[in-house]
Amino acid sequence: MSRFGAKKGRKLPGAEFSWETGEGGGENDTAPTPLFPKYHVPRARPLTPHEQIQVDQYRSLRERFHDGPYYSVLDSATSSAKKESAARVHFDPFHGMPSYSGKYQKKMRTLPKLAGREYVMKFFPKELWQTIQPSFKPDAAMDGYVLRIDRPGIRRGFEDDEDEEDDEAGKKGKNAEEGDAENEDDEREVLDPDEEEEEIMDDDFEDDDDDMGGDYNAEQYFDGGDDEYGDDGFGDGGGGGADEDTY
Amino acid sequence: MASQYAAELCALLVEDNFGELFARIFSILQRYDRLSFPRLKFYSRLSDRQLRHGLAAMIQHHLIYHYTSYDEGVTYYEPNPQAAYYLVRSGKILAFIQDRLGKYAATVMSTIMLLGHAQISHLETLPELRSGQLEADGINDDHEGEGAGERVNGHNVVGAIEQPALLHPTLKTLASHGYLIRVRDAQFQSYADNALDAERAIKSRPDVKQMKGKRLEETVLEGTLAMLREKLDGDLTRGLMHNGLPRGAKRRPGSGSADKSARMDYDMEDEAEEENEWSDDDMGGDATPMESGIVIRVNYEKLDVALRNRRFLDLAEMHASSATAQVYECLLRRIEYQTKQCRDSVEIPREGEEGEQYSVAIALSAVTEEVDPQLDLAGSIGPMEIQHSVSKRGKRPLDEDGVNGTSHQDSDAPSRTYEIDQHLSLLSQPPYNLTSKRVVSGLITWTVEFRHLARKLRHLELERVIEARYGDVALRVIRVLHAKGKLDEKRLQEISLLPFKDLRQVLASMQSGGFVDLQEVPRDAQRQPSRTIYLWFYDPDRIRDSILEDTYKAMSRCMQRLRFERSRLKEFLEKTERSDVKGNEERYLSPAELTLLGQWRSKEALLLGEITRLDEMVAVMRDY
Repeated sequence: MSRFGAKKGRKLPGAEFSWETGEGGGENDTAPTPLFPKYHVPRARPLTPHEQIQVDQYRSLRERFHDGPYYSVLDSATSSAKKESAARVHFDPFHGMPSYSGKYQKKMRTLPKLAGREYVMKFFPKELWQTIQPSFKPDAAMDGYVLRIDRPGIRRGFEDDEDEEDDEAGKKGKNAEEGDAENEDDEREVLDPDEEEEEIMDDDFEDDDDDMGGDYNAEQYFDGGDDEYGDDGFGDGGGGGADEDTY
Repeated sequence: MASQYAAELCALLVEDNFGELFARIFSILQRYDRLSFPRLKFYSRLSDRQLRHGLAAMIQHHLIYHYTSYDEGVTYYEPNPQAAYYLVRSGKILAFIQDRLGKYAATVMSTIMLLGHAQISHLETLPELRSGQLEADGINDDHEGEGAGERVNGHNVVGAIEQPALLHPTLKTLASHGYLIRVRDAQFQSYADNALDAERAIKSRPDVKQMKGKRLEETVLEGTLAMLREKLDGDLTRGLMHNGLPRGAKRRPGSGSADKSARMDYDMEDEAEEENEWSDDDMGGDATPMESGIVIRVNYEKLDVALRNRRFLDLAEMHASSATAQVYECLLRRIEYQTKQCRDSVEIPREGEEGEQYSVAIALSAVTEEVDPQLDLAGSIGPMEIQHSVSKRGKRPLDEDGVNGTSHQDSDAPSRTYEIDQHLSLLSQPPYNLTSKRVVSGLITWTVEFRHLARKLRHLELERVIEARYGDVALRVIRVLHAKGKLDEKRLQEISLLPFKDLRQVLASMQSGGFVDLQEVPRDAQRQPSRTIYLWFYDPDRIRDSILEDTYKAMSRCMQRLRFERSRLKEFLEKTERSDVKGNEERYLSPAELTLLGQWRSKEALLLGEITRLDEMVAVMRDY
């Protein structure tokens, strides 16, 4: 107390501003909020028998859904998770190894199983008909279209790598499909597959560039520049000179 | 349903029921709303195959709309949040069907839900419906309530020959109650798409093309509505009702007394009897099967009507005797047969802006027919009865002994009608006005003011929330504000008879919670605080919207909690789901594991039950 020469009986500095409020009993505005305020946790009432029936019905229906043909999970086999990265990283070395009792384990579908029941085709959009009924053969006018989705129909689930390749093919096919004139699209696909690839990108610059006809391309700004100027630096302005004119 | 939490909830529900693939597609569609296949593929990062199969299966379950435009030929996909939301109500609906029409009907219903929509011919082939009760055993463990012993046994002996005979009557009963509807093409497109299509079709008609201005608009609007109604209509009840009553609901006047006494209990135990009765009815009656080409699905709108009636009945039961409630139930049931949906407009009506919408009027005689003849009507309305008997005595002295005696079993028909009328007028009293009387050309009929009652339910629900949150003082303030409109503090204090301090505290806390708000009315242009009137007000619409949002949020949090709890016990739960363990838990699991399983089941039940309760609130605020 007396270490800093403080007089006895004096309050510590700032003590006159107490947190306690005179009347009302309410908290002062400037007071710190209590760390562990009393908190009344509401508890749910126990279920009535009627509610229990409802819950049981919900659960049994859900179980039927889960056992049914449509329940499907996304696992590492999705195209978004590449084999090398996610699937490997998230592998569980303790439980992931195949064991004998694994044969009793519930099998998770990664794809809804459509076969095994009848469907009313007219309720579905045309582009899904092939998926629903693999034997379905549409008329000749749409031949090219059908051939392309025919491939995924034959595939099996476990052939992952081929899956992805096929997907790539299917994707291109899909893009080709987008255009109205199919033949033209097909030709273009053959000639210039890269351009097709670009088409699904939302923010592609290439197309805009072509349309606008300007020669400025922000995406190529560094790419083009780096190479050229790098060469310039070493090769003392050999081929770079020609390019310099355009910039 | 475009709000954040509603969308979250729908995606969670889809995931809970159908797994992650559906949930991914559904949430992507909810985020971007309307996508063609390539765009959907791009955003969802799913493989072609997954997406195609997923989409097809989701369309089968009505979880997404699709629309192929005529000009471009591109198919667009759109989420159907309503259908996703109804997943949460499935338990309630099945319990209701089981309660009303018996276990087998509930099994049929849940199978239809499982299939999304189904052809009758496909239903016929299903093993769980054909060998009926046997298969149902595996799904519903509590089989004790089945009751209808001899009949079931008989069928088991006869085998698969007679069981399909049970399927068709059940389907017919469900269809004639309106719980099932026929699937139409247009139901797979969203309402907006259908409306646009219909409008286009109307506009291209040659006679419409010549019209101009206002007349054109009117014709187009009318034509569109008519066309939509025609296209979306999947009503199956028409051919199946006889005398305005659906099949299976018919009560034979000469049926045995045991049957009637069972109904007196008005409990779940008599469900087996009831089932027995109606199946007998149908077995004896026409056994013509339903057309096998018809595609059916669950009619959620109609089920909402039924559930709403159940809710009204609860209200009546709370405030009146059981006999009165039963009379009310009969009236409501009669009305339900003729009510297609809860309200005409799709969007939630604003407070005070909705017109009154009366139900169909039911003649008193019809209600009398419906009421169980063994029901003791006189016991619960004593004082009225004395008056009534006195008045009767003057007219018919011969009856004297019978009326003054304690037994009313032998009371004659007109007095019974009168008693039912009395019960119904009891219900028509304030504060709830559960019924209202109409005299149509000399005939006494009774109706239910649906909008008024739905509003009442809503207000009760809001008041309940407010009381739970802020106490009874707050409730009184809210009621005063609701009755009187906008009030300044002084006036409010005078009316509510509360000390200033309490009033201010409660108003401040409610304002911070968003339940009441303050309006400033400046008395001069300067808007000085000292020369401004402050009015407190309570806006039920606004509160309703925010409560609805909160409820969605609470529901989705419950779902998330459930998911988390499941992930904590993942290894264990996977073990219990193993094909060898499932069904013989006692044999393979240790006692500790069995307790854990029991704990998990009750925990899950509690969370799901909470979701069901919240869904009840959503129904009151949004659907009724």
